[in-house]
Amino acid sequence: MDPEFRGDIDHHDGTSDATPGGYREKRRPGELAFALFLTLASLFLLYSAYGISGFEALSAPGAIPMATTLVMAVSAGIVALRTARLQRVTTETLSKDILPVTVIVFIGFLIVFGLALQPLGFVLTAALFLIVAIKVLAKRGWGYTLAVSLGSLVVIWIVFRVVFTVLLPAGILPEAEFIQFFRTLISKGAF
Amino acid sequence: METFLAILTVFTQPELLALVGIGTFAGIYIGAIPGLSVTMAVSILISFTFSWDVYPAISLMVGIYMGGVYGGSRTAILLNIPGAPSAIATAMDGYPMAQRGEAGQAIGVTTVMSFFGGLIGILVLALAAPFVSEFALTFQPRDYMLLAVLGILLVGSLSSGSMVKGIFAGALGIAIGAVGRDPLTFTERFTFDFQIMEGGISFIAVMIGMFGVSEALIQLQNVGMKAVRQKIDKIVPSFSTIKTYLPLSLQTSTIGVIIGALPGTGGDIAALMAYDHAKRVTKNPKIPFGKGAMEGLVAPETANNAAVGGAFIPMMTLGIPGDAVTAIMIGALFIHGLNPGPMLMIDQPDMFWFIIGALFTANIFMLIFGLTGIKIFTKIVEMPRSVIIPLILLLSIVGAYAVNNSITDVYWMLGFGVFGYFMRHYGYPLGPVILGVILSRLLDDNWRRAIISEREDLGRFFHGVFTSPLSCVLFVAVILIFVSQTPLWTAIKKRVFAKTS
Amino acid sequence: MSRKLIGALVAFGLSASVATAQEYPTKEIQGIIQWGAGGSTDTVMRSVTPHAEAALGGTVVMQNMTGAVGAIALNYVADSKADGYTLLMGAENPMLYKIMGLGDKDYSEFTPINILARGTPILVANNDAPFDDYAGMMAYIRAHPGELKMGATGPGGLPSVITAMMNTVEGEMDVISVPYDGDGPALTALQGGAIDVMPAVLGASIESIRAGAMKPIAIFDVAQNAKLPDVPLVTSANEGYSKYLPWGPFFGVFTPKSTPDDVVAKLSAAYAEGAAHPDFVKLMDDRGFTMMGISGAEANDFLSKWQQGTAWLLQDAGLAKASPEEFGIARP
Repeated sequence: MDPEFRGDIDHHDGTSDATPGGYREKRRPGELAFALFLTLASLFLLYSAYGISGFEALSAPGAIPMATTLVMAVSAGIVALRTARLQRVTTETLSKDILPVTVIVFIGFLIVFGLALQPLGFVLTAALFLIVAIKVLAKRGWGYTLAVSLGSLVVIWIVFRVVFTVLLPAGILPEAEFIQFFRTLISKGAF
Repeated sequence: METFLAILTVFTQPELLALVGIGTFAGIYIGAIPGLSVTMAVSILISFTFSWDVYPAISLMVGIYMGGVYGGSRTAILLNIPGAPSAIATAMDGYPMAQRGEAGQAIGVTTVMSFFGGLIGILVLALAAPFVSEFALTFQPRDYMLLAVLGILLVGSLSSGSMVKGIFAGALGIAIGAVGRDPLTFTERFTFDFQIMEGGISFIAVMIGMFGVSEALIQLQNVGMKAVRQKIDKIVPSFSTIKTYLPLSLQTSTIGVIIGALPGTGGDIAALMAYDHAKRVTKNPKIPFGKGAMEGLVAPETANNAAVGGAFIPMMTLGIPGDAVTAIMIGALFIHGLNPGPMLMIDQPDMFWFIIGALFTANIFMLIFGLTGIKIFTKIVEMPRSVIIPLILLLSIVGAYAVNNSITDVYWMLGFGVFGYFMRHYGYPLGPVILGVILSRLLDDNWRRAIISEREDLGRFFHGVFTSPLSCVLFVAVILIFVSQTPLWTAIKKRVFAKTS
Repeated sequence: MSRKLIGALVAFGLSASVATAQEYPTKEIQGIIQWGAGGSTDTVMRSVTPHAEAALGGTVVMQNMTGAVGAIALNYVADSKADGYTLLMGAENPMLYKIMGLGDKDYSEFTPINILARGTPILVANNDAPFDDYAGMMAYIRAHPGELKMGATGPGGLPSVITAMMNTVEGEMDVISVPYDGDGPALTALQGGAIDVMPAVLGASIESIRAGAMKPIAIFDVAQNAKLPDVPLVTSANEGYSKYLPWGPFFGVFTPKSTPDDVVAKLSAAYAEGAAHPDFVKLMDDRGFTMMGISGAEANDFLSKWQQGTAWLLQDAGLAKASPEEFGIARP
């Protein structure tokens, strides 16, 4: 098989890892910018890897990082050059095929989730996220949204927090007291 | 003979049998949820089973281990999100099958082949443990390094798109693995003086982000699309199907046992190496690799379950863990008053046979539970996308946090998720990134150990490579595989074949 | 029932800080283990804590938080609320963070709840090594400079301290130091012949020694070890070592410094009782650890003495990144 063959004719958006996105002889919107970004980032990392220990010794902590970032920079450079020579796909636009509004909105949700997780606590943030996300995507009534999102949150919370005792950020809810309360109740019942 | 009968302990005590069963069942689900790892479950079990006897405790742990390694394949096939690192290769061909509505068949084959691989692993453990562990001990740092290089060459078969992009992705993975304080000298690498970067980037966070979050974001673009109806009638593969893949599964099980038995390498590397092996030896797959080839499921699944038996070999014979889970089990044995080490086989041989019995039982339970619960599992993919996408995102966040109780890992996970989303759109393969992260430490640490041992002298290093038969074999394999991936080789092959025909 | 219920409701309605010592613990306690699952620290903590829980009448949820030689866990607990609900379960490493440039905090920011036990260092060698005892090894090193491969686990680890001790007592040795990320992998490599000699903690190597998979060279202690009575003490080969011994890694449970005294007292009592449990004592004995079980001023004394001795040893051997003097660590 042609080693440069990428994906099949129907899938250009990288549906699965085995069928990567992109076209063979054309470049998608934003592809060149991404390749250039990778090249520049690799060069910066190469510079940073040099800073670890320079050319001190073959066994220096910076030896392998320097080698790998060099490979990154060279391969990203080749990709960028090749991409630059390709024609742009005329049927696709950045806002329609690569970064539609929903995706941007969801990336925004995730960033907010990450920032609010520590101060607000897991339970509140996750509840808000699920309610808003399911409401936006499913476009169904509030009853459905609340039932599905809170129901699944309870299951996830019990599995991770209670069964696997993962200490998810408690935030402003007195989660530990809540669990202890039930523990006491259960141990009381046992007597 | 009497000690050998300990192999039957599990069957004679209903309580133990039930515990192995419960463990296996739980393991399958733990393995299937990205972020819940077997390592985590087993270490929690240590405090949980603290006051128990040693046999019930070990029964439960063995069950979870066996079930968990297998369970990772479920979500890999159904959602394209590997539940555990050892299932990364399974997603390559399993997910395309699910997209065609053949998830039931894919899970069926996976289950039977996992059982088969598990069985081979247990057999080798039972019959040849001392020899394998002796062989595993002979691996020197330079051999581990060559093994890592061999692994990195898998980039070729993992990148179904452009080779250059695959190389970039692989190198990126190695660089990601180097972030944080270097474990050998504690030098800061790529930390940019941020304290939160000192701990490095958790490999699980990268995996969940790249596969879970980027998958969910991609799916957002076709929320409205109707889910593929899954055929679940032909789950148990026919005998002739199994027979067809028998030779391949024997080879990949061998890979699994050996990689599993080596201290420091586990089921994840074994599965990827087996996938690569299958791709090399299968000349004419019915369906091409990456599109849902059966061989692409058989190879990694036999290998990762065979690696379970393999990982127990150094643990039982030398008291050295074969992977993270066996490391915790050694701790558990200590707590229960046993002293795992080379003397365990001599002092308490019945423990050895008991564990083999428990592993065997867990393997059978895995087959039973694996083939029966498929209907409920496939329902997951038939759920409306508007619900499943937010849930995947939430599980990704919880999972990334749970690995190390670190909010930093969540940020990394989200970052790599968005980055992976762009990589997919522009045809950069994600598999090599994960491969790079997995192999980064193996390559880096052992390269440095090897060259330090030779006092920084490359001449002495190569002298060592050529005078040791093991290193020599590995080195030749590296060269051959490397050459076979360059255009030069294809040209030579063409000319040679032209002459002979 | 009703008193408990009201108590829980009050705690529920207000916040975590209302708990008084009489009530402590009103909720589960986080135990942050500095090292990964399956390691020595992990095993010790997971086996002592259930006994301590029983004495305390509360729940301690243990979590492994690894990374940056344990500094991540240390910083996490140091930054947590000093209310006794977050415990650090750690080993000796933090005492060297400052001089090794790994962090700006150590156990001086904490109150020791209990320093459970200490390990004994032992020097072990590959079975094929061309020497059988300490004197033979020193002779071999002198006769073959730059050939002996000695395992290490990074700056500040047990092997680096023992090597520094040997360099100080015996004069600079010309050996190759091969770094591993823990004594487990290094002892594996020792059996495979990738390294010749390894300073390790007794517990990690005792089973392999009993099985004859590696040979003991010398024990770094001042008293003969009951587990390995035939292995000579290093002081019998060179009296110079007695200045630095006994020395060893230790395990302890800590809480941030400003934790209320009554909470500390409760925790200390619980862990003291847990550590005295026969099961735990037997486990530690089997693994070759020396029980300590000290807390309060005694523990603080031990910590500062340990830190002074080790920090200056590393400084004199030229291994420290920053002089102990900068951090007010007095020369012993």
